[in-house]
Amino acid sequence: MSQSLRPYLSCVRSTLTAALSLSNFASQAAERHNVPEIEAASSPELLLNPLTVSRNQEERVFVEPSVNSVRVSIRIKQADEIEHILVHKFTRFLTQRAEAFFILRRKAVPGYDISFLITNFHTEEMLKHKLVDFIIQFMEEVDKEISEMKLFLNARARFVAESFLTPFD
Amino acid sequence: MLLLDYQNVLIESLLKDRLAPDATPTSIDQVVSDFDNVTFHISTPTSKSQILVSIRVKCFDELVKYGAQAVLEREYGPYIVQPESGYDFSVQIDLAQLPESQEEKDELVAKISLLKRNAMAAPFEQAFDEHTELQEQARQYTSESAPQGVREGGEVRAIHYREEEGIYIKASHDRVTVIFSTVFREETDRVFGKVFLQEFVDARKRGVQNAPQVLQSNEPPLELQGQPGLARGSGKGEVGYITFVLFPRHLTPQRRGEVISHIQTFRDYFHYHIKASKAYIHSRMRRRTADFLQVLRRARPEAEEKERKTASGRTFRVQA
Repeated sequence: MSQSLRPYLSCVRSTLTAALSLSNFASQAAERHNVPEIEAASSPELLLNPLTVSRNQEERVFVEPSVNSVRVSIRIKQADEIEHILVHKFTRFLTQRAEAFFILRRKAVPGYDISFLITNFHTEEMLKHKLVDFIIQFMEEVDKEISEMKLFLNARARFVAESFLTPFD
Repeated sequence: MLLLDYQNVLIESLLKDRLAPDATPTSIDQVVSDFDNVTFHISTPTSKSQILVSIRVKCFDELVKYGAQAVLEREYGPYIVQPESGYDFSVQIDLAQLPESQEEKDELVAKISLLKRNAMAAPFEQAFDEHTELQEQARQYTSESAPQGVREGGEVRAIHYREEEGIYIKASHDRVTVIFSTVFREETDRVFGKVFLQEFVDARKRGVQNAPQVLQSNEPPLELQGQPGLARGSGKGEVGYITFVLFPRHLTPQRRGEVISHIQTFRDYFHYHIKASKAYIHSRMRRRTADFLQVLRRARPEAEEKERKTASGRTFRVQA
């Protein structure tokens, strides 16, 4: 793990741990409704202060807490065109499987690549610290995966080009 | 299977079965597709022992213009018959009049499965011949006194072998330039294509020194100025031009057959590997997603083992 990644992740970890103190809260606007307040945004007094943790210009995490739900959005590093396309493909792949991931949001918040929505129901039936672990591990591995895929692509391209041109030799 | 084969494998295996010594004649009626929208039709229209192989190429008129008829006559001389309707060129083998030896039979099968390659080879052969001629002419002049025609080289031979995509061949006294134009349908293909092409351009610097020089651009190169029907795209790079510069050492009579076969497969080879990389990356993402799911599943506390009862109220107990 690189020098600047460790404080970044530990900062995200403590932010998330603090933000994930959720309680059941029925909607004030409609009777017998119980919706994630951060999405409904119908009563401003239920929303808490949003917070951004940035590692650098490219990589940041946006945490929006509310009384019964937290929205976490991640922007993944994209240094060039290839990484951009790989990140796009990968996040699309994940969001299409959002059903299996429970806490994954189908659509990312504008300006970010992937978003999670954790409600009080999730924290009730799952272990809170494990949820935080999941998000941290996701952030760690997604970078690794993207750069491995990029390396693979370059290596394959080189090999393919050389084997096409060798018969001319 | 890294490099693509030059022949059509399906035709090869079909004919091999039919030409085997103990094969009984059967009727065939099969349509075979190949790269670049080429279609073959293998049939036995009159009797079971006469196999007709027909080919349809999108750009056959252009190929004829560049001498395809002569090349095909040279290759298939006695087997050529009147083209089947709907197809451009047909050959017929009579199983009753096959050559005697096994080698000759194998050679015949190999030749017919190279039908597409031979049809497409005509413009290349013509350009290579023109190069030899220009080289002879150029010998008579010093570099200052050469008349324009010799330095500029010959006309550009254009083969529009797919919709929107083409091969352009230009001969000159010291090289033959082969330009492929290709279209990327998708953003991902475009980016992957760029990475691959960059490696093609760089490969020469890294060891394959005798390979043809490869250049790539998103604009039509200067050689193609004034060509009608060039794909331009909207400036986002979905159209690519790849130029191969073949030097005299690739154009010697001993090597040209091999070089022509090989360079023809470029476009298919290139796109095939882009697709293959996409498929690999897809399967990799699938695996990684499964890993993530595993991590998330750990967050669920394990359900405690409850005491299980049967309908009549008896419980299971582990025997001590």
